[in-house]
This record gives sequence, structure tokens and C-alpha cells, in this order.
Amino acid sequence: MRSARMASFAIAGVSLALVSGPLFAEDEIAVASVDATAVQLLQGALELTRGASSYTRLAMKIHRPDWERNMELEAWTQGQEDALIRFTAPAKDAGNATLKLADSMWTFVPQLKREARLPSSMMSQSWASSDFSYNDLSRSDNYLRYYEVQIVDRNQEDGHTVFSLQMTPYDDAPVVWGRETMVLRDDYVMLSQTFHDQDLIALKQMETRNIGPLGGREIPLVMRMSDLAEPDHWTEIRYLEADFDANVPASKFTRFALRGER
Amino acid sequence: MPLKLLLQLSWRNLWRHRRRNGIMVLAIALAVTGVMLMNTLMRGMAAEMREAVIDNLTGHIKVIHPGYMADPGIGRGFEPEQGWERALADVPVAGWAQRVRVPAVIMSERETRGVQLVGVDPAQETISFLGSLSVDGEALSGAEDRRIVVGATLAEQLETSVGRRLVIMTQGADGLNREAGYRIAGTYDADSNALEKVFVFTGAQTVARLLESPAVTEVSLRLESGDDIPLALAELGAVFEDLDVKAWQDLEPQVASMVLVADFGLYIMYFVIMGALVFGLVNALVTAVMERVRELGMLRALGMRPRSVVAQVVVESTLVMTAGVVVGLALAVVCYLPFSGGIDLSAFSETMQMMGVRNIFTPRLEVADMVIVFVLSLVLGVLASLYPARRAVKVTPLDAMRR
Repeated sequence: MRSARMASFAIAGVSLALVSGPLFAEDEIAVASVDATAVQLLQGALELTRGASSYTRLAMKIHRPDWERNMELEAWTQGQEDALIRFTAPAKDAGNATLKLADSMWTFVPQLKREARLPSSMMSQSWASSDFSYNDLSRSDNYLRYYEVQIVDRNQEDGHTVFSLQMTPYDDAPVVWGRETMVLRDDYVMLSQTFHDQDLIALKQMETRNIGPLGGREIPLVMRMSDLAEPDHWTEIRYLEADFDANVPASKFTRFALRGER
Repeated sequence: MPLKLLLQLSWRNLWRHRRRNGIMVLAIALAVTGVMLMNTLMRGMAAEMREAVIDNLTGHIKVIHPGYMADPGIGRGFEPEQGWERALADVPVAGWAQRVRVPAVIMSERETRGVQLVGVDPAQETISFLGSLSVDGEALSGAEDRRIVVGATLAEQLETSVGRRLVIMTQGADGLNREAGYRIAGTYDADSNALEKVFVFTGAQTVARLLESPAVTEVSLRLESGDDIPLALAELGAVFEDLDVKAWQDLEPQVASMVLVADFGLYIMYFVIMGALVFGLVNALVTAVMERVRELGMLRALGMRPRSVVAQVVVESTLVMTAGVVVGLALAVVCYLPFSGGIDLSAFSETMQMMGVRNIFTPRLEVADMVIVFVLSLVLGVLASLYPARRAVKVTPLDAMRR
């Protein structure tokens, strides 16, 4: 299995936002060398699809050369630490859930009636057999701590300034990529993100395929993560419903809630 | 009856049937040669496994936390006191090494693998396979080295190479994940692919920094001689009171039992092969006795004691056996000598590496084993003659004359 670690920014942008850690970690070794505008852009993009607490309904399509799978899921987030995702369709997968609390993640499979804490060795595995990994769901503060961020290009497009960001991980950063590039609009809508290996060959790409208003904001409505090494392998996520100021009870972010019990 | 006369009689009897007894001697000789050569292979294999296990970071003795085997991790670490090695003043020690060894996950852009992350001080690792490793790229420069050395096979699996970065994720003492990126200093080529896939090395200080703990998880010792293990165990036990001090046999019981099997293997092979042959020998002796009924009857009539009749058959049997064993052992030595320096298996190295056997395989012919075979054969020779001797004694002069 191609188990690659992607920065969770990708998902955060979709507001699966199983966010972790404060955006600015205490050890801000990196910040000095980070372009202030770039930081602001990244932070804005993270905040765009996430309020103090949010509720979203999403459709996910996993595409492979031989088959395609459509799933639907609900996601709740609270602050930057806690999140719960539950599949609602198809019936076979309904009830499967993932809970993130601070640094820990749990999964629940109703058929087994069992919840399991994810060992660290599983974190880079594919999540729900999509092109996303668990790591993608669980991180967001990477950018500022582990990368040197530079704005390499600015363009005017459709009345927006479009920035091209280049992010190079520091030598001891826990990031496997050689470089990540990101294209962002000045209203924090992410247009694309590409993951390169250490030879700077692009391996994965996340693209925004549709932008529109939802939940009172202009957000990327449809995003597609493609595995560039395997042609015709991609996972697409589409917003169906979003409430970025939802009143989510704290009891949603417990292992009890993970089991789907009320 | 004087022994000399007895020997003379037996000797002459044997030479009366040169072909029959010659074939018997040859059969015994070939069986002994076969057993001995098989044994050299088993001995060689056992020695190889023992050495490999002692080399593979086990050493002769290891000091670990009592819970480390069941739940390896930095949570089962300890901090050895300075100068603990002075407790071993009267045991010759080849060297010792303190290591941090924790299960970890290693990731490249494309692949993820589970490994053992081992923090070492390269200066101490003369006692393990690390000391004599061939490294492509650079070896670790010291305990402070912040780079990693991975197995060539692992690098291949991770689709990475020297100079690239890998991410290592493991658990700290608090149970929380620790992760960091490390550049590959070099890739190593070990005798077995299994080793290459499992062990990732870096400086001990580097692991300590990652885990935020100064503890080590093991102290490994190599003695000058494996015979000193019990003494060293006792002395170390007094120093590391709350820890487990274990000999390699306890740490690698599978290999230890394989070595034990090799010890017994000689007896097993010997009795299987020689056991069958003994019946041939019994048959030959019975035939010889039956042919000589008249002669034996006459000897008895002339006053030969039954005791002497028995002795004569026993001596005959023993002579045949001795001749066979001596020829067999000589043949084994002749066959063994050309290979005593080792057999080069590099032509099959892929398969052999999978089995954890090195490219050069050295069979071992041990004098002790030869002595054992010789003595066992004499005993077997005597045992084989008991039934024929009884038949011979039963012959009375009267019976003999009636024939």
C-alpha cells in the first residue's frame, strides 16, 4: 500500500479538520525564517473551514481504475484538538467512526462492537482505504514548526491574488517529503497542494475542483487527492452541508460517542 | 587361556573369511564416515548460529529490565551506574556496549516499515556485528552522530538511498509519540537479510534526545570465553540487583536448543545408522559360529573353557568393529580436510541469506566426537557379540560330533 504521509493541511482545508496542537507551537524555531505573509495565509486557510466548533456533512468518492466507491460521512470538530468523524453511507460502512482527542486517535467498527486506539505504526496507513492517511487527519501545525515557507509567486486571477507557496521541511523534521508546494488565494481558499519526494518528483496532489459559498463562507467545495504514482487513483471529497458555528456538545468528543451511543 | 592365544585364534578365524569380514569392515567404515561428516556439518551449523546470535547484539550476557522482553520500550530502560564494569575484574571480558533499543516505525515518501531503532556508541560496538559491518556510504562517527545507518535491504524496501531523509516514529517513556527526520549516513550489508530489515542504527545520544531520556535498555557483554558465563552472571547479578542478567541461552532459547540438538545429533545419527549395521554384524558372527560347530566342539572336548569360547567371539566382533571404525574415522578426516577452511556458498548466497547462514560455511570436525564414536563402537561391538557368543557356548562336544 502506498502509505504516504500528507500534511493534514489538505484535509484541514476540507474541514475534516481533525486538528491537532496549537497552530503556533511553543518551540517556534522555524518562525523567524518563515515569511510572515505566508504564515498568515496558512493560518487563514486552516481557520477557513473550521469555527470554534463545526458540523459538516461530506461525500467521499474513492476512485480506482477498476472500481469506484461512494461514501458519506459526518464530522464534528471542537477547537483545534478534538474531532469525530462518522460514516453514514453506504450501509456496509455506516457507523464506522474515528475519534481524535489531543494526541490520540481511536477507531470504532460497529460490526466488531469494538473501539481500538490506533498504534503509531498505523498512522501512516490509508484511512478508510482512501488516498488519505490517518496522519492527514491528525495534524495541522506542521507547517510552521517543520517547514521553511516561502512565497515564490503571486498572480492576479479573477480579482484575487493567488500565491504560490513553497515549503521545504527542515532536516530533522518528521516529514518524509522533499518539498511541498501550495497554491492559495488571498481569501484563504486553497487551490492545490502538491507533495514531492526528495528527488522533487511529485507523488501526490490535492486540487480544488469547485469553489462556492457554503455555511456563510466561500470555501473549496470539491477537492480531489490524486496519487500521481498510480494513474487513475484518487479520492474526492465534496461538501454537502456545513455549519461553522455549530453548537456541538462536548459529549460528542468522547469514546462513548465514538461508539455511536447517545 | 592366555589373551595372546585368544587373539591369535580370533585373528586367524577372521582371515578365513576375508570377503565376508572385509565387506563388514567396509560397511562399518562407510557408516562411520557418513556419521562423522554429517556431524561436522551439524557442528558447523550450530557454531555458526551461536556466533551469529552472540554477534547480533546479544553478546554472551545481557542486562535488561525484567519487563523489557514482554514490553520493549524506553519505559523499560535503566541507567547503569558509572564503573559497574569493575565488578567483573576477575573475568576476562572482550568488551561491552550500552544501547538504547526501541521498536519504531520508519517512513520514506513511499513506504513504511516497523524496525528496531538502536542507539549505539560505535566505539563500544567492536563486540557485535556492527563492528565489522561493511557500510556503503559512511558509518556512524560516534554516539553523537545524528544520522542513521540502515540495512541495504530495508533501504531497498523503502525506495530510498544514502543521503536521503527518513522519518522515525517511536514512543517515549510517557507513552506519547516522538518523531523526527534523520539523514541516512550509510547502508549496511549484513550476513542475513533479516538483520538488515530489522536494525536501524544511530548515535546513542541522538536516541536519548528523541526519547527525552538518558536511560539505556540494555548492556551487552562479550566475554573472552563462553565458559566464564556462569561466573560473570553471578558477579553481574550482584551489581544489577533489580535487573535481569541473562546468558544468551536464555535470551535466544531457540538457538540454544538448536545447539543442544546438534550435541545430541551425533548420538541420534550414530544409533540410527550403526543400530542397523549391528544386525549385519550379529548375522555374520552367528554364521561364523554355525560354520564352526564341529571345531568348537572339538576345542571344548580338548578342554577349552566356555569362558574362552565367549571371549573368542567377543574379540572377533571387537576386531571387526575396531577395524571398521578406524578406517571410517580416517576416511572422514581425509574427506573433511579439504573443507576445513570453509565452504564458499556465495553461489547460493540469496537462499542462504534467507536462512541466516553466512556465505562461508565452516564444518567442524571435533576430536571429542571422534573419541565418542570410537568408544561407542567398541561397546556396540561387545554387545553385538553377546548373542553369537551364547550360541557358541551352547555347542557341546556331543552336539558337534553328531553333525
